[in-house]
Amino acid sequence: MTAIIETQGLTRLYKDNRAVDGLDLDIQSGELFGLVGPDGAGKTTTLRLLAGLLFISEGSATVAEFDLASQSEAIKPNIGYMAQQFSLYAELSVLENLLFFADIYDVKKDKLQERVDRLLTFAGLTEFKDRRAAHLSGGMQKKLALSCTLIHQPPLLLLDEPTTGVDPVSRREFWNILTELHMEGTTIIVSTPYMDEADRCSRVGLMYEGKLVICDTPKNIRAQLKGDLIEVFPDDWQAAHQLAQTLPGVLEVQTYGETLHLFVDDGAKQLKAIEKSFNKNGISISSIRAAPTRMEEAFISLIRRLEDETSAK
Amino acid sequence: MSFRHIWAVTRKELNHIIRDRSTLILVLLTPTALLLLMAYALTADLKNVPIAVLDYDRSALSRSFVSQITAGGDLELYAQVDTFDELEDLLMHGKVKAALVIDPAFSSDLMALRGLPLQIIIDGTEPESGGFAVDHIAWRAEEFVNRALEDQIQAMGSMTSLQPIDLRVRTWYNPSLKPRVDLIPGLISMVLGFPALSVALTLAHEREHGTLEQLMATPIGRAELLLGKMIPYVLVGLVNVIVIPILAMIWFKIPFNGNPILFFFLSAIFLFAILSMGILIGVFMKTQAAALALSFLLIFFPGFFLTGIFFPIASMPEIMRLEALGLPGTHYAIITRGVFLTAIGLDVLWPYAVMLVLLGFAFTGVAALFFRKKLG
Repeated sequence: MTAIIETQGLTRLYKDNRAVDGLDLDIQSGELFGLVGPDGAGKTTTLRLLAGLLFISEGSATVAEFDLASQSEAIKPNIGYMAQQFSLYAELSVLENLLFFADIYDVKKDKLQERVDRLLTFAGLTEFKDRRAAHLSGGMQKKLALSCTLIHQPPLLLLDEPTTGVDPVSRREFWNILTELHMEGTTIIVSTPYMDEADRCSRVGLMYEGKLVICDTPKNIRAQLKGDLIEVFPDDWQAAHQLAQTLPGVLEVQTYGETLHLFVDDGAKQLKAIEKSFNKNGISISSIRAAPTRMEEAFISLIRRLEDETSAK
Repeated sequence: MSFRHIWAVTRKELNHIIRDRSTLILVLLTPTALLLLMAYALTADLKNVPIAVLDYDRSALSRSFVSQITAGGDLELYAQVDTFDELEDLLMHGKVKAALVIDPAFSSDLMALRGLPLQIIIDGTEPESGGFAVDHIAWRAEEFVNRALEDQIQAMGSMTSLQPIDLRVRTWYNPSLKPRVDLIPGLISMVLGFPALSVALTLAHEREHGTLEQLMATPIGRAELLLGKMIPYVLVGLVNVIVIPILAMIWFKIPFNGNPILFFFLSAIFLFAILSMGILIGVFMKTQAAALALSFLLIFFPGFFLTGIFFPIASMPEIMRLEALGLPGTHYAIITRGVFLTAIGLDVLWPYAVMLVLLGFAFTGVAALFFRKKLG
């Protein structure tokens, strides 16, 4: 395994705001790396920096063995970058968009037909190849944008929230494509607001206020969360929420709609005790159960801790 | 420099122009519409300017004078009034643009060859019409006096050698001195520069739609992108280079005395120069609204006032003369007028063609230099 991306103290300033602050990333060839974090954490700025679209304020980085500051043009043929907002030519058809990027990336003419056919099949766009990009659904537009960034078969893909605003079925299809690319050996860095997507990555970096606060496998990140998870489905949500925070052994309470997620010091021991407390206080619950922790809970717990630390300062 | 890259951008841009109906109309029809509008608005001959007459003389001669000045339809006798108050009232209400007051001594002075005592009052808020009325009345008055003089000379017989002055002015190249003939080639040079506006918008358009971000992440060269964007507008501009002169010849009866192939060739160079100016604006302006505003400020207003179409460059202050030299329109206006009216060839026009080429390369060069494939 060789490093395809290495950054040392990579920093980008907007006036006095450190959008990306001292980033040390080390991404190996073949990884499917997820970049998560709340809005404004610096995910988009990080991806734009790695794609050579922004000047570096401080630090250094190597992408695909080229220096990011001095050789950003040499990096570009080796990457496929997909911006967050829809960024194809709306007046051009699906096929014309693909051919445009094929020309720009100097795809060899004799390989062109095969490459285009394969991508159209891959993205399920064959029957829409003559349709204008403007008239595609949101999910199809994303798949077309991805296909355009794949036309030159780059070893490194940088995808900025590719599934935001896409329906669940298209989202799943999109991730199936990413998984396939990952299997073929393409290195993928993808930013996402969805924790179930983060769970599918080989490694996840969590950004907060421009800094990389944790960078590990999803399993290890979930393990960071203290305690076991108990899911409670109460009938009276408000009363249950108030009570849960006062119960002994409860470390943290998270809410998901009408559901309560309680993190307790010992799941096996506390499950019965908590159920009893609810009953004693006259709060009826339709169900209570122990559940495995997911990225989502781990993420919220980590962000909360960071927010508390920031406000304490 | 890869021709494949340039052609990819050009093809995409052509598709955009052709498929986006508003862009197509903007680039194809606006020059024609602008030419018609400006030609009529700026060169409209004044006709039927209403005047009032206050005739204190009331003689046969004064009546004959009034009927002569209002003959031909240039001036229209709106009212014959009896008092100065009435006359002032008509002027105040804008019913007449000029008023003529004929002195009681009109016919006696004329007979005695003491001159022609007349007073002309004009509405200073509309100097165009007023000035036109003054010129017209003065010209008729001169004619009137000359005729009176001739009558008297004839009456005196050959005893005297007195002759009325006979000054004949001949204008070359535009013999009938119709304002349109002189102005329209100038206007043509202006409207043909119109695609510069569209090209100034195209970079900002891509910026606003996020496609520029995508392009910046590709290996496309800066000059490749800028040239690829200019070429389609040169092509569309050349369509107008053919359409507009034909329109001018048929509609306005403007002669085309020069070599059409030379005109086409020089127009292509002009398009390159003016579009370079447009792309330079596009490089610096982040939004379409800003690019549009700056195009008007840098291309169209100077095109109007500084290129010598309406105001002679020689009479400008030095700094403006220098600025005029930097505008492609200045050189192209000379070329257009020259080819249309005087049929001069490259032997005379080559310095202007060279200037256009230099300006084009200078603008494109600066644009490519300052265009960075970076977002911020």
